[in-house]
Amino acid sequence: MKPETLKGHLDAMILSVLEPAPLHGYAIIRELKQRSGGTLALPEGTVYPALHRLEAAGLLASDWSDAQARRRRVYNLTRRGRRELVRSRGEWRSFAATVESVLAPAASGARA
Amino acid sequence: MSYDQQLERELERVGITGRLRARILAEVEDHFECDPDAQLGEPAALARRFADELGSRRALRAAFGAFAALALVGALFLGAILAVPHAGGFASLQRHGESTLSLAGLLVSAFAAQVALAAGGLGWLRAMRRKRAHTLNEQEALVLVRRAGVGLGAGALTLAGLALAATGTEGHIAHWWTVLAFSASGAGGVVLALAVPRLLSARSLTPRLEGSAGDLGDDLRGLVPPLLDAGSWNFALLFAGGLAIAISFAGAAAQDPFDGLFRGLADGAACLLCYAALGRYLGLRQPRERPFAE
Repeated sequence: MKPETLKGHLDAMILSVLEPAPLHGYAIIRELKQRSGGTLALPEGTVYPALHRLEAAGLLASDWSDAQARRRRVYNLTRRGRRELVRSRGEWRSFAATVESVLAPAASGARA
Repeated sequence: MSYDQQLERELERVGITGRLRARILAEVEDHFECDPDAQLGEPAALARRFADELGSRRALRAAFGAFAALALVGALFLGAILAVPHAGGFASLQRHGESTLSLAGLLVSAFAAQVALAAGGLGWLRAMRRKRAHTLNEQEALVLVRRAGVGLGAGALTLAGLALAATGTEGHIAHWWTVLAFSASGAGGVVLALAVPRLLSARSLTPRLEGSAGDLGDDLRGLVPPLLDAGSWNFALLFAGGLAIAISFAGAAAQDPFDGLFRGLADGAACLLCYAALGRYLGLRQPRERPFAE
């Protein structure tokens, strides 16, 4: 999938990946790739600025973690982030359903 | 030069320094430890992306912060002004003769409050329209920061004018009003000061994307008929004229038609003067095209 196709959906995907548990930057990128079955050609450099922006917007919170003898920034969803995720999911489902209904092949004989 | 070193230099070049830069470098270092073959892109491009996204967010936060502070200051100022009649104010002042100090204070307050309302309100309106944008262009972010700055400055001037008026009216008006006016000025000053760090933070990091800041037409899209072309001088004239007429009618309704007319004309003229002086700076009208600029 081309990066341009993802534009506008990256925020929702990041929020979704962080829904079950807090993750650090590399793990978020890995999770995005795994969940998409490797089809997301995600430019890795776009994720870190997005994480910082989402945190500045109050949708994510982050803290240093020293687990595994390594200092890492771990991100988690805030309450506002969870609300935004619910809103984004609804918006996406409505959008996808609309596009699907238009793109679906017309039933034979529908056009008289 | 290693990737980290290049990124460090590029982050500094775009205005990202201190703890934020250290944090970004630590995250990138951790990323490369997890995957030495990771492709994070050119250091310059990555640094610019951080500046674009964080600079945009900071500009929006500055605009929202300034508006929230100005709304509180507006309530304090309005409360103090509305309390004047209950303190035996205006009539008492006329009997004793207004001191030059109080008159100057009230004039400064009345003028600055309108500038603060316009700059802060339009900053908020633009920020609301763009709040879901990942990035703003440099000009638009600058306009948001300028509107926040002018709004906060004018808000401070409003409070200074109120304090000046309170100083000049001391002894001619109920003592409790003087205390109220000074308290409102002090509390308002603290509220404005709390909004300043966001403004400074936005000034220190601006996005680098090219583009236009738009004009008042972009702020008022959908709120005024497109035919009026809100980014034009004609619209400014229409607005100033409407303001002058409204104030004149208010004066007539208060049995003071000549004073109302004078105040209406003065307000309309001040509105046009501000539009001429600050219109481009605050992104109310587009900069003039300079086809032969070097």
